[in-house]
Amino acid sequence: MLFSLKKCKEWTDQELVRRSLADVTYFSCLYERYEDSLLRYIQRLGLRDIQEARDVLQNAFVKAWKYLNTFDDRMKLSSWLYRIVHNEAISCLRKKATSTKRQQWAYAGHTEEDPEEWEKSDKWKSLEELDEHIHVVLDQLSLKYKDVLVLKFLENRSYEEISDILKIPEGTVATRINRAKKAFRKIAQGDELLLS
Amino acid sequence: MKPSERLVQRLKDQQEKPIPRWVFKARNTALWAGFAMATLLGGLAFSVVLFAIQQSDFNMLSHMSHSRMERFLAMLPILWLGFLAVFLVLAMYSVQYAPKGYKLTWVRLGGYSAGLSFVVGTLFFIAGGAQQLEGAFAVRVTLYESIQQKKIDLWSMPDEGYLSGEIIETGLTSLRLRDFTGKVWTITHQGAVVPPVVLMERGEAIKLIGTRMTEDAFRAEEIRPWGGRGGPGTKRRDRPG
Repeated sequence: MLFSLKKCKEWTDQELVRRSLADVTYFSCLYERYEDSLLRYIQRLGLRDIQEARDVLQNAFVKAWKYLNTFDDRMKLSSWLYRIVHNEAISCLRKKATSTKRQQWAYAGHTEEDPEEWEKSDKWKSLEELDEHIHVVLDQLSLKYKDVLVLKFLENRSYEEISDILKIPEGTVATRINRAKKAFRKIAQGDELLLS
Repeated sequence: MKPSERLVQRLKDQQEKPIPRWVFKARNTALWAGFAMATLLGGLAFSVVLFAIQQSDFNMLSHMSHSRMERFLAMLPILWLGFLAVFLVLAMYSVQYAPKGYKLTWVRLGGYSAGLSFVVGTLFFIAGGAQQLEGAFAVRVTLYESIQQKKIDLWSMPDEGYLSGEIIETGLTSLRLRDFTGKVWTITHQGAVVPPVVLMERGEAIKLIGTRMTEDAFRAEEIRPWGGRGGPGTKRRDRPG
């Protein structure tokens, strides 16, 4: 029998990890606690299909369970879970081996036109949501730049958390964010996307 | 069924168990042990590099003939520099994959590993271990020629003005020297440059720069201690034998 969300809230992350190691049922609390934010993160990384994102999340949690004893409680559990989810999502994206151009083309809902023709046209400008525009630009960035921008500006993670998630030094996080912002700006200006 | 329930059910069905903590502890211990070992071995390699530098006469480089230059270059501890580089990289990798190792940049990792290896190597060199290690390596590895042997070759070219050996008899302006092949030479050294570190005593190993006079006579213009350069040097005029 699983626990109610209300009951789950009584325990801290660390307590839940300890309890999960004794009884796997407690692991469901961790899943429910982070399900929404991690699903959103997976989608922001490029796996927009919700079912696909859920599969990735399930697989990531199976891995988290397997490696639960490596969790160092000096680190935030959320950062640890983000790291596993990130790796799983990237691995899935690589397997799909879909070109960035084709992804953004599909994302914009085009089915009949050639992506290169579409890119040259002005049609994409009719997209209504700025968030969608942002993802179009993000998808044109290299993965390492996209990673840090998503974590910093869409997931609101601190430098330390990003360092823990991506397993890179904090100094490198800062440098990468700076470069990513420049790259983003360049693409956005090229695409005439207005940025505040 | 909620996704969380499906997850728990899947874990129960697959009878997945978390990997035991001791596995990760063992892995981390192995990584740190690897780091310690790589740093130590890097230190030993560095000590031999120091030894090779000590044995070299870099200030003579510009005066060397082609054949002598070749021998000098052969003395460069390329192999040991290679060992040092390999062990530094291994040490860096060990820390990089240890918990929280990713927090350090490669520059810092390299700096710390190199720093530790240099400290260990310098201490080992000062303790006199480098020469023994290099000698033992030369004995066990057939293809490897020791720095000492290369140095003997470099300083056994009397026709080019370089000679070395052990003093077997001393005099006011001359001495007798047995070179490393066992041949005995008569050395005249009046007016030669001799650094204070050269004691000119029987049994002392020295290096000579000068001119070959006859089959077994050599006029020295400069005398150096066998071990190293021996410092600036002074004109030797009347040192008692």
